[in-house]
This record gives sequence, C-alpha cells and structure tokens, in this order.
Amino acid sequence: MSILTDIYNTVAKFFRPQEEQEDASKSVATNRLKLVLMQDRTNLTPKILEQMRGELVELLSRYVEMDKELLELNFEQEGDQVALMLSIPVIRAKDEEEIEAALASRTDGVNEGVNEGVDAGENNTDLNAEIEQSEGEADNNGENAGGINAESNNEEEANQEENADDNSTAESSANNSTSPSKTKKNKKVTPPKEAAETDSAEEAVLENSEV
Amino acid sequence: MTGRVIVITSGKGGVGKTTTSANIGTALAKDGYKVVLIDTDLGLRNLDLLLGLENRIVYTIVDVIEERCKLKQALVKDKKNPNLSLLAAAQTRDKTAVNAEQLREICDTLKEENDFVLVDCPAGIEQGFQNAVAGASEAIVVTTPEMSAIRDADRIIGLLESKEEIKSYKLLLNRVRPSLIKSNEMMSVDDVVEILSCPLIGIIPEDTGIITSTNKGEPIVNDENALAGKAYRNVALRILGEEVPFLDLDEPKGFMAKIKNAFAKLKAKV
Repeated sequence: MSILTDIYNTVAKFFRPQEEQEDASKSVATNRLKLVLMQDRTNLTPKILEQMRGELVELLSRYVEMDKELLELNFEQEGDQVALMLSIPVIRAKDEEEIEAALASRTDGVNEGVNEGVDAGENNTDLNAEIEQSEGEADNNGENAGGINAESNNEEEANQEENADDNSTAESSANNSTSPSKTKKNKKVTPPKEAAETDSAEEAVLENSEV
Repeated sequence: MTGRVIVITSGKGGVGKTTTSANIGTALAKDGYKVVLIDTDLGLRNLDLLLGLENRIVYTIVDVIEERCKLKQALVKDKKNPNLSLLAAAQTRDKTAVNAEQLREICDTLKEENDFVLVDCPAGIEQGFQNAVAGASEAIVVTTPEMSAIRDADRIIGLLESKEEIKSYKLLLNRVRPSLIKSNEMMSVDDVVEILSCPLIGIIPEDTGIITSTNKGEPIVNDENALAGKAYRNVALRILGEEVPFLDLDEPKGFMAKIKNAFAKLKAKV
C-alpha cells in the first residue's frame, strides 16, 4: 500500500501547479532583505530597535495590560515612506486608578525622553498614541534608553528569539497592521475603547513618518 | 545638439553593468543615434573586450585628461557601427587618476556632438562611482534578483537620490531566471520592484548566449534570435521614450512543461 501512496504522491506532486509547492526560499530572502534594508535605510541597529521596543512596552503598559510576548515591532514600506508598525495585543485597558498609580511610580530621571510621549497620552484619554520622530530624535532616544529597567532588558533576549523563530506570526500580524495604516494617510490609528474593554486583542499602530 | 548622459551603475560587481552598457549602446547606435560609451573602471577595463575593440585602443581617458591627446583621438569607432564609439579606461592606472570635475567636463564636451553618452560605472560607492556619476543626468541601476545585489542597489539608489544632477533613475533587472521564480526559489520582478520602489526600465533573462557573445566580442543585441538581445533592444526603445511591454518570460518552453501546464489548467477548471 505504501508504495502505491508514494507513487500517488509523486504523480500528484508532478501535476500540482508549482505555486502551491511550499519550498519557498524566495520568501525567506524577501523577508531577510526587507529587514536588512530597513536597518540600512534608517541606521537603526537591532539593538536600538530592541531598546525602542522595551521603552514602548514600558510606556504603554502604564495604560493597558497587554500580552508582551506577542508584541510586534516591524518596519513596513509603503511607496517611498517607511512606517514603523507596532502591533500590541491588548488584554484589557487599565482603569484610572491603576494608570495614576503607574504614572506616580515611574522614575523621572531615567525616562526623561519618554515623558513627552506620556504627557501627550494623558491629554488623549482614549489611549491614542502618536509618535512623530525625525531620525535625529530617534538617535537621542536610543541614547536615553541606556537606562531602561532590568525587566525589559531580560525580555529583550526572549523577544529576539521570538522574532527570529516565529516568522509566521510576525508576518500575519504585520499584514494585519498594514491595512489600517494604508487607509489613514495621517499616520494615526486609534484603538477603539470599547473593543479593548471586551478583552479582545486590539492593535495599536504607531507610525513613524519618514524615518 | 545636446545629448543625454546616462550612467550605468549597480554598487555590486558582476551583475552586468558592462554588458548592459555595451548592449544598450550598440542597440541605440543601431537605431541610428550617435553614441559614445565611456569606461570609467580605471585599472579594470572590460568594455573594450565586450565590444571586441581591445586591439584598437591607442589612447585612454587618462591620456585625454593628462592632455597627451585630444578627446576625438581617444574615441575608438566600433567595427560595425560608425555611430558607436568608445572612450576606454586606462588599464595601468587607478581611480585616483581622474576626478569628478574632469569627467564632468568630458561628458559635457561629448554630449555636444552625440545623442547619447553612456558611462559605465565601476563597482563600489567610492571615488570611481562619484566620478562616473558626476557628468550624468540620468542613471540606470543594474541589479539581479539576489539579496546582495538588491541591497547594494538600494544603497546606490539612496546615493543617486542625494545627487542633484541626477534627474531620473531606472532599474534594470538582469539575469532573471523565470523557472526559478516559478518554483519560488528566486525573487520575482514584482518583489524586487516593490522592495526597491524604483521604476523599471528592463528585465533581462539569464541567457547563455551572453557568454558566447562575450567570447566573440559581439554584443548580444546583434543576435536577432537571442531573448536577452531582444530584451536589451527593448530597453533601448524605452530609453528613447517608446512604450514597449516587458517580455513575457513565464511561458514554459519544453514539451513536458507544456503537458504539465495543460494538466494544471485542467485541474483548475475541475
């Protein structure tokens, strides 16, 4: 019987349209190339990206409880523009007391660079976050990030592995986060408040205009 | 007249800059335009070989710059086509023998009496590249569907964007292998164009005829039957402003491929 199965598989494979065959070394090349080009174009090293990611996690976790393991930070290209896509699975939004407690406990000296962003967030009660950075500012943040806390440093390693190994989920969530940004030219996506309350995973997209 | 000065560049070596220069130049000359090819790869000249002119070179670009001869004396006419001439690179000197200003002057002089001045750029992004780009107002970036070539092309495009003199640049995708693209083992034309976000001026299929044409010192555009030759002739037409559709390279050629294709279609219908 097994011989018959083998023969059937061989024959079936022969007649299958080639696009369906799964040995796509091309997609590996495309993904690797996209990543390396983004790094080349923006001068952002993987280390700085991880720092940025760590700081964003720290900042946003003051306002929402999220699944840090599934957080994705990617670059996407739309025409001439490079967009920074942050996809965050939100578990639930924090209530006011929790947010105030988190804000009170933050260490002022270390996160001076991030505070601007926090203030903007305070004004926008609907957790609407927008980051506009020039390349120079991005570099400054990288320097400031020298003092991010030990917790996010530990996470870095785990996250890096995850990024390297788990290409499939990275792709799917990157695709998900692309669609809203294309419709919004103004680089601003607001996660609906109600949805966050119902514990469903929502995506906040932070974009970086013209890195 | 004021001709167009086009630099052919790539960043990475071995992707086909010189082959592209020789073929586009020959194709434009065949169409009746006056063309000068400048080899700026000092110390590693090869354009003379591809054109079969290696035995006719008396003076080089360095001789012109150092005023050992007049510019006209250094131009070597093509064997077949009097419209085409070559300004060869010096083989015994390096890139520091020429500077950007001198090359700009040469290009400016040559474009007075020619329709096209094509500058074959050396690999790399150093002095040789800066020299080659100096006199040009248009660029063709040659790349292949390989990661290293695409990354280098991206770098070159970034540098070209920062140059005010370069008014437009186009991508030429060389050594495309449709069978590998079909089996998802090579990036497709669309993939490359999307990644580099640069307008396309040509898709040249991998063609073993290139090897024999190089052996003979005869650009492949002279071979009416070669697919790569046709693709290069189309590039020349696009440079002239004609809208020529890109060659369909996907059509399976072999008998077995046809059967396979027929079955695939049948299956799709069922």
